[in-house]
Amino acid sequence: MNPQRVELRFPGTRDRIAPAFADFRRVLDAEQLVAAPRYHAELVFDEIVSNIVRHGAQPGGELAVCVTVELRPEAIVLTFEDDGVPFDPRVREDPAPRRSLEDAKAGGSGLMLVRRAASSLDYLRTADGRNRLTVRVARREQGA
Amino acid sequence: MQMQLGDACEGVLTVSLVGRLDTPGVDRIETQLTAHLVPRGARVIVDLSQVAFIASGGIRMFITIARALGRRGGKLVLYGAQTLVAEVFQTTSLNEIIPVRADAAAAAAVARG
Repeated sequence: MNPQRVELRFPGTRDRIAPAFADFRRVLDAEQLVAAPRYHAELVFDEIVSNIVRHGAQPGGELAVCVTVELRPEAIVLTFEDDGVPFDPRVREDPAPRRSLEDAKAGGSGLMLVRRAASSLDYLRTADGRNRLTVRVARREQGA
Repeated sequence: MQMQLGDACEGVLTVSLVGRLDTPGVDRIETQLTAHLVPRGARVIVDLSQVAFIASGGIRMFITIARALGRRGGKLVLYGAQTLVAEVFQTTSLNEIIPVRADAAAAAAVARG
């Protein structure tokens, strides 16, 4: 059986995150997902799309984002493609654990959350200059 | 994402957040929440029982508000986090720097202290 595959295309601007996220959640609504995999898929979407919108635009350029959602029996596979500045999220290290309110960095947790939510992360810069990040979220919880 | 304001009790404010603390949700609520709490240096407990989702933007928002409150003699305590929201708190060590409690009574005791 072929996995269901849906493409979401939208401009990489802040005002388009909410409708894109709503479209993504509607795709997930059609599946019977257990709570944790669903949450993890939404977390990955929020973090990666927000990062692309916030940091990805080339100087003076516009950004186009495409998210492909593949619903396989064992995993939700999300492929994020954008034509922004090159960025491989795998090379960014996790921040140090927060120890005090005064010294803690407020931001910077997004990619750590993605790595915890994902069972695999693959990146390549395509020949035509696009970032392509493929994130796999297991549909079965560990030990299930 | 919506914000519901409760009455102050023994100097502690209660705020209930309803909805999703995803990127759009934080964009909608952060300015209003900050303006309501920070200038007065509030001691506040935040009910998260109706927050189904949080991502790193929500974590950033809480740390920023908690730090600003602390500098003004106030305090932020969170309570009622759903399981997967609590998991995000643990992963990001938020619960190491901002008190997170199971219920309003426990949260209020921390906020008053």
